[in-house]
Amino acid sequence: MIQTILALMKKELYQVIRDRNMLRLIFISPIIQLLVLGYAINTDVKKIDTAVYDFDRSSLSREYIKAKTAGDYFVISSENPTVLDAELGFKENLYTAALIIPNDFSENFTKKKPVEVGLLIDGSNANSASITSGYAEMIAMQFNRRQLAIPEPIVMRQQMLYNPESESVYFMVPGIVAVLITMITAMLSSMAIVREREIGTLEQLMVTPITVPALIIGKTIPFAILGFLEMSIALLFGVLWFGIPFAGSWTLLYGLTFIYLFTTLGVGLFISTVTQTQQQAMFYTWFFSIFAILTSGFFSPIVNMPEAVQYITYLNPLRYYMIIVRGIMMKGATVEALYPEIIAMIIFGIVIFTSSWLRYSKRVS
Amino acid sequence: MFKIKFIAQKELWHILRDPRSLIIAILMPIVMTLLYGYAINLDIKNIKLAIIDFDKTSTSSDLMGRFYNSGYFSEVTNPVSINNPEMILKKGQANAVLIIRPGLGEAIQKLKSMRNIASVSVDNYELGLIVDGSDANMAAAAGSYSSIVVSQVIKDNLPLGFEMPGIKISRQVLYNPDLKSSHFFVPGLIAIILMMISALLTSVTIAREKESGTMEQLLTTPITPRQIIIGKTLPYVGLAILDGFLVLGFGVFYFGVPFIGSTLLLFVFGVIYVIAALAIGIFISTIVKTQQLAMMGAMMVTVLPSVMLSGFIFEIKNMPLVLQIITYIVPARYFLLIVRGIMLKGSGIGLLWVEAAFLIALAIVLLSVATKLFKLRVS
Amino acid sequence: MPDTVIIEKLTKKFGDFTAVDQISLAVGEGEVFGFLGANGAGKTTAIRMLCGLLLPTSGNGTVGGFDIYRDNENIKKSIGYMSQKFSLYGDLTAYENLWFYGSVYRLNKKTLKNRIEELSEELGLHEFLNRPAGNLPLGWRQRLALATSVLHRPKILFLDEPTGGVDPVFRRRFWGILYDLADKGTTLFVTTHYMDEAEYCHRISIMHHGQIIELGNPSDLIQKYQQPNLEELFVQLISKKSEKATDV
Repeated sequence: MIQTILALMKKELYQVIRDRNMLRLIFISPIIQLLVLGYAINTDVKKIDTAVYDFDRSSLSREYIKAKTAGDYFVISSENPTVLDAELGFKENLYTAALIIPNDFSENFTKKKPVEVGLLIDGSNANSASITSGYAEMIAMQFNRRQLAIPEPIVMRQQMLYNPESESVYFMVPGIVAVLITMITAMLSSMAIVREREIGTLEQLMVTPITVPALIIGKTIPFAILGFLEMSIALLFGVLWFGIPFAGSWTLLYGLTFIYLFTTLGVGLFISTVTQTQQQAMFYTWFFSIFAILTSGFFSPIVNMPEAVQYITYLNPLRYYMIIVRGIMMKGATVEALYPEIIAMIIFGIVIFTSSWLRYSKRVS
Repeated sequence: MFKIKFIAQKELWHILRDPRSLIIAILMPIVMTLLYGYAINLDIKNIKLAIIDFDKTSTSSDLMGRFYNSGYFSEVTNPVSINNPEMILKKGQANAVLIIRPGLGEAIQKLKSMRNIASVSVDNYELGLIVDGSDANMAAAAGSYSSIVVSQVIKDNLPLGFEMPGIKISRQVLYNPDLKSSHFFVPGLIAIILMMISALLTSVTIAREKESGTMEQLLTTPITPRQIIIGKTLPYVGLAILDGFLVLGFGVFYFGVPFIGSTLLLFVFGVIYVIAALAIGIFISTIVKTQQLAMMGAMMVTVLPSVMLSGFIFEIKNMPLVLQIITYIVPARYFLLIVRGIMLKGSGIGLLWVEAAFLIALAIVLLSVATKLFKLRVS
Repeated sequence: MPDTVIIEKLTKKFGDFTAVDQISLAVGEGEVFGFLGANGAGKTTAIRMLCGLLLPTSGNGTVGGFDIYRDNENIKKSIGYMSQKFSLYGDLTAYENLWFYGSVYRLNKKTLKNRIEELSEELGLHEFLNRPAGNLPLGWRQRLALATSVLHRPKILFLDEPTGGVDPVFRRRFWGILYDLADKGTTLFVTTHYMDEAEYCHRISIMHHGQIIELGNPSDLIQKYQQPNLEELFVQLISKKSEKATDV
């Protein structure tokens, strides 16, 4: 049995190594993707193009405008436009926010009376719209505090743990790595088996004394190894190039990745039992990947999704792995903190491998 | 002309005879629309907040209620360890921990009895907030929303007629006042799905003929390469447009995304965009040998940039210069602005001509390059 | 000669369609048995049942003494199979293909090495050992496929259209190799379209619409039906059967 498994693994690896394009795909494209995604994926809402309508034109209003643009949040793209038609600017995509300072701004402010400043926001981008108003509120509060110098009855002392530089990259790159290895391992394992079915060597194998478990193990372990390799390359790159912190234990991460790869390979395997051609296998795997990525909490928190969808995410192994990768890398999480996720992945892996095994019969009835 | 029709017809049969791929071509857009529409919600809401209450008065319970009813925070029922509040953050069960120290009740009383600004004592009462910074946006939001809740509490407990001085932001959201993410995503989805169907399927189908040898067979006949390209891609234009309408219809009727502008204009630009996407598909198919590579290549060169670099989710202006320059050749970038403009803002050609010009130029360039390359490879 | 493949009223139905209809035969040790029939007659289905790839609907059978229902796995240890497609890994070299299949059949390193040496000698594969199997000309791929199926010295060898598309010289040489195997005691079960090859067999059977319509020694059959050669016999028999079917 072992001999057979080793032979299968060796054969699989030979085939991968001989395929230049496959190698490029496995090793070079993750780096390219990491580079592009690491830089492109920036969910920070910064440099919001703002039109400023200052009807007060006092030194105080100018102070306020300065405060508004300090830091990277708001950028003035148009000051005192002659036409009070922010809408036109929104339509032409010139700016996404408009600040309207009333003409009694400094008068009321210095008299310690409340002043209303208008903020028009382009709502097409719902995400940045709410964050934009959040920033505006924060800046207004800070301005009030500084200018009026009144002691506050209740103060909030904030302490931010992990990621003090507030880099969204640190949060994204571990996620990107998780996504990359998911796609590659699922794709490779599903295609490998379907290809053998297409060219006829699978049938040839079925005629031999090979057992189904040996076949399954022999065909998935090489891809687990490749997955590890890819993860290592991507992680190393992330740490060295992007400077991603690594707060936890490398051994724990590798160990848990092993369990995770078990699940993705299982999915690839399962897909190979339900498809006939390589093209179909590719489509199905792609489909699974998209679904897994969108419901994993990679881009957007699962809590924001409708309840029904949230329940579905429990079936997504990437959801658990995402928590694990981010937890270990950014927060130094240990098994104590992550055991629910670990158990979930193990259960998923066992279920899917067993289902695939059952579907694979050497004899068709 | 006649010959093109033949090839297109053959292609149609291929498509129709492969039920699984067909299902995916039709089902996938619908499921993706559903997923994106529901699942992706980048708004920061429901921040998981755990609260440790040391004050234990009716005032502190009231404060807790305020936080949880604000719509920003959701309650965390898992136990928080007083000695190790970090653990709950590590477990991912909470995004932030609020610590209500003893003395809140007194502080609120002082607030209620304030006569004038000057009489506020300097001994401030401090609330503690520990925030998980891994998700920078969430962290920033947790901070600013907490401040908002607290300042609301202060305002509500001030004596009558007493108003806190300073700036108040009065905000108004134009277009999409309910701030629904689906309004933002559906237009982008149309762009992505059109690109996917056109480029992906086209590259695969040409590669498939090369792989099975039938391309060689076709070329021995009187059919010209140009006719082959047109014939093979025509059905996919149809399929792509069908999918486009599917997503559009779904978005408008199911998710309630508004459609203010002109359908005709959208259709025209849709076709131009699809042509650009097809050109890319053809280009890829001329340089790869197998279907597998065609798919992966198409994925990498079309879908990924369309999702990542088009402004669909991530702001282009936040990207480093190099990437920003690359986005100029991503057709999805222009089409996205066009779709959003037409659908959400009712913009006409007058406002969108810049994007339109870019898109048309890109389509022409891509098409000519792809056709030339195809002819070259073939001869 | 003891019988190595015995089947009795073996049947396979796919829904309403009967692909193999109650066929019975017995093949002896060292016999070269030709399994003839038109396309779609049921030959491949029958072989797949004997190889343990397909579960029969009804009937009995033993292969190498093992029951085809119960002892499927034991059967696989003692048979070899060469499919129409010459199932080889195109991106692996000839040597690697041999090494792989040998390992799957659990031959230990030393035995495998010797065996590969032996087979390359016999089949003239030496100069091709380091070439990717996909780059070999058809005739050599055929020999390589044969080699992979006999590495473990199976008692029974099933060959499904093994000489499809190969030139006559190669075909004749291939049959020479097959005869050598038979002489050494291997039972050969061959399906083929080439009637001249069928004349090389000890016995043949002719299948039509899932049934065996004739069974016996080629020359005996030629005499029985008063035909000049096997090809004429075959054509006559099949067309008569088809006519009869349309009459009814």
